[in-house]
Amino acid sequence: MSKKQSRSLSSARNQLRWEGLQRGIYRFRNNALSMVGLAILSLVLVVAIIAPFVVPYPEDATGATHVMERLQPPSKAHFFGTDKVGRDIFSRVLMGTGLALQVGTTIILMAATIGITLGSIAGYFGRRVDDLIMRITDIFLAVPALVLAIAVTAALGKGITNVMIGISLVWWPGFARLTRSLVISLKEEAFVEAANGIGATHFRILFRHILPNAVSPIIVKMSTDFGFAVLTAAALGFIGLGAQPPTPEWGAMINDGRAYFPSEWWVAVFPGLAIFLVVFSWNLLGDGIRDVLDPRSRR
Amino acid sequence: MNLKAGYFIRRVLLLIPLLVGLSILTFSISRVVPGDPVGLAAGPQATPEIKAALRKEFGLDQSLPVQYYKYVSGLFKGDWGQSLYSRRDVADDLRAFFPATLELTLAAVFIAAVLGTILGVFAALYQNRIPDHLSRIIVLFFVSFPQFWLAMIFQLIFGLMLDWFPISKRLDVLTPPPERITGMYTVDSLLRGDLETFGASVKHLFIPALVLSFGALASITRITRANMLEALDKDFVKMERAVGLPEKLVIGKYVLRTVFIATLTVISLEFGWLMAGAVLVETIFDWPGLGLYIVESSLRLDFQPIMGITIIYGIVFSTVNIVTDLLYGLLDPRIRYE
Repeated sequence: MSKKQSRSLSSARNQLRWEGLQRGIYRFRNNALSMVGLAILSLVLVVAIIAPFVVPYPEDATGATHVMERLQPPSKAHFFGTDKVGRDIFSRVLMGTGLALQVGTTIILMAATIGITLGSIAGYFGRRVDDLIMRITDIFLAVPALVLAIAVTAALGKGITNVMIGISLVWWPGFARLTRSLVISLKEEAFVEAANGIGATHFRILFRHILPNAVSPIIVKMSTDFGFAVLTAAALGFIGLGAQPPTPEWGAMINDGRAYFPSEWWVAVFPGLAIFLVVFSWNLLGDGIRDVLDPRSRR
Repeated sequence: MNLKAGYFIRRVLLLIPLLVGLSILTFSISRVVPGDPVGLAAGPQATPEIKAALRKEFGLDQSLPVQYYKYVSGLFKGDWGQSLYSRRDVADDLRAFFPATLELTLAAVFIAAVLGTILGVFAALYQNRIPDHLSRIIVLFFVSFPQFWLAMIFQLIFGLMLDWFPISKRLDVLTPPPERITGMYTVDSLLRGDLETFGASVKHLFIPALVLSFGALASITRITRANMLEALDKDFVKMERAVGLPEKLVIGKYVLRTVFIATLTVISLEFGWLMAGAVLVETIFDWPGLGLYIVESSLRLDFQPIMGITIIYGIVFSTVNIVTDLLYGLLDPRIRYE
């Protein structure tokens, strides 16, 4: 094949990709719910970035206490009221936004990395390797993620880093299974056989020919899992295994508020609403992403 | 039929390596990690001698393979170890707490299946119209709340403000639990013919189960809707409509049946999720099940219970998956097993 031909071929392919992308964006923009999700999420992102500079009492997120002002109801001075040591809940909720997003992102990225690596090795090489990896996956999948995450995190020790490690360690099997099944079906495609025929290395076949075609379903899974990851991390924080005081972690803040619920309802209610807002907007968005990347899911 | 039996025997046999793997996993989690459970159990004043004695008592001074061997052979004899904290037998605790979690989870699965099927069917019948969008928003809405937080809010609304339901425990302090048959209060009280206790335990069960069910609502609704749309598109539906069968009969008798079979797998997969979600719901409602037990144990680094609970979860989860397959085959004879 001459150079010129191959260039025109690749530009035709780019053209096709571009059109596909445009169609996707069109579908996405026509989905009012995902646009709402995107709007809320952008707002959340902005809040996460500017929170340290704009909240009224930034020091309340890092250990300052004002016992004289404890458990005050929402007011002009404290929009969301104050907690048991007089910290401004509004400031703490906003300061916690960045942490929540960071935790969710880290968990999904770590889990996806482990899962995609093991899953593609299992699917591509098959046989013994496949058997071994999938048996390990089965063991992890045999126990609900939350329960195993509690066990692992308890063993590693309390703390937000260990929460992220613990959850990632129980979250990867889903990605491994998905990637494996995608790789197995793509392995049979003609273009993979062609690459094999002209002597491409396994590495090249896997990364240049197979995985790029498996990206969409993996992204869909990452986006739908993100909300669950945030919820799971908050749950471990709520149980008391996660961030330790004074870190403004939403789950831990709800746990703090339990003792004062419902008479001093604001301590627990506002961090919960914050979690809801992030997870809800992300779920709306994820729904839209699924429609774009996997049109069969919605008719 | 023989083929099927062979398939299921193989599935059950495959449970063995799975459980061995799981026991290795839980054992490694509990022994290879940092943290000092003995120090925690012995308390801050404990002298090194006391700690050493405790270590010996729990067999922690032996080599890891020996410890593992003892642990696994104990599992088979019904000796699941002792809690470092309460000194109670883990097996006894599990027997006491497991039925509570099972009851809560079953109730939640039932509620989720009913609500999810209704929402999904409506969404499909009114595809891309208001009811469809509405059902989509409702399920996304409820699945996005942290369940422990929603549980607190429901406690507040239905317990304290409206005073419709009791808000914690499985029964009032004054009501004696029914004599044990299964350990599930609703079932036992019915079997004993004690309607009053039955009513009371259902009342205690309802709100926790409702909150828990939200965790599975989204996926059950979504899959029902998809299956329903697929079924409505089938030739047999077109034929039935063409010959003029009333719509009620077409949907109610022919479409729903196929949809429900297809949904069944998802429902039973959700069983595992909900049983995990029960951990959080139990903490809020003071529901004395496995969830409350694992939370307390994990905060005390009390490893024998954590291992036991994890293994129980594994056994139940895997068994449910096999039973699902079996049911699926019974309900849909076209399915072939290899």
